[in-house]
Amino acid sequence: MKGLRRLVFLALLVAIGLGLSIVESMMPLPFIAPGAKLGLSNIVILITLVVFGFKDALTTGVLKSILFALATGSITSLFYSLSGAILSLIAMYLVYKYLSNIFSLVGVSIFGAMAHNFAQVLVASLMMSNIRIFSYLPILQLTSIFTGYFVGLVSGYTVNNLKKSINKIFY
Amino acid sequence: MTKGDKLLILTIIVVNVLALIFINQSLFSYEEKYISIQVNGEEIKTITFDDNMIGKTIPIKSDYGYNLIEIGDGKVRVIEADCPDQLDVKQGYISKVGEIIVCLPNRLVVEIKGVGVETEIDGISR
Repeated sequence: MKGLRRLVFLALLVAIGLGLSIVESMMPLPFIAPGAKLGLSNIVILITLVVFGFKDALTTGVLKSILFALATGSITSLFYSLSGAILSLIAMYLVYKYLSNIFSLVGVSIFGAMAHNFAQVLVASLMMSNIRIFSYLPILQLTSIFTGYFVGLVSGYTVNNLKKSINKIFY
Repeated sequence: MTKGDKLLILTIIVVNVLALIFINQSLFSYEEKYISIQVNGEEIKTITFDDNMIGKTIPIKSDYGYNLIEIGDGKVRVIEADCPDQLDVKQGYISKVGEIIVCLPNRLVVEIKGVGVETEIDGISR
């Protein structure tokens, strides 16, 4: 029973992440820099990481990326979002596990956003075999402060409330 | 927000602004630039910088006048002109993307243009 509830909850999280991604892809870009996104689905991955742990967060992130590629139908964006999701998850996991006495969830999510941008620029430069795309990285990293800050804030509030009720759901 | 978060944000801002300044000064402006020669608003010639172009002169004759352009190592200047004020000759070399030599009486514009990084990123995201 416990495992089933967990499965359903994780499936819900994937669905929320997918929904957020699609909504986000419909929004006009809120920033000056092309390629900068809000990273709303990162909220879901961060919550999963904190509440369920690294393995489940990885599953959620990869599933979300694949489903998003299926929903929008662009294969090239799959590489970008997969590499971004995996690298940002690893960064967030390391920071959350070993440095959580220094950084709150805001800091964790800023690290995640930075890793995400780095992965995307890396993939872009590999795909076009052009190293100069890295000169675009600083602008993206500056925007990752704002996106990471808001993602961290939202995740912080959600996790606080979720942790209160999570015991009721699962035990 | 802990102290670490604030420090992190500050560090990111400082590092990236420094990186932006560095990129704008060196890498960004230096790669893949070319000379665009325009007469009366129309681009009549584009020249890419090349090692065997160094020292070459290009005469530009149009209905409005005559200018002689010399190409250097990543830079360009006007060495002769039949206009009265000779402002374009006095300006000397230009080398950075966006720099421009104008000879108003001859309606000549020599401009250095660059292939921007941002346009390429636009190109693939579409």
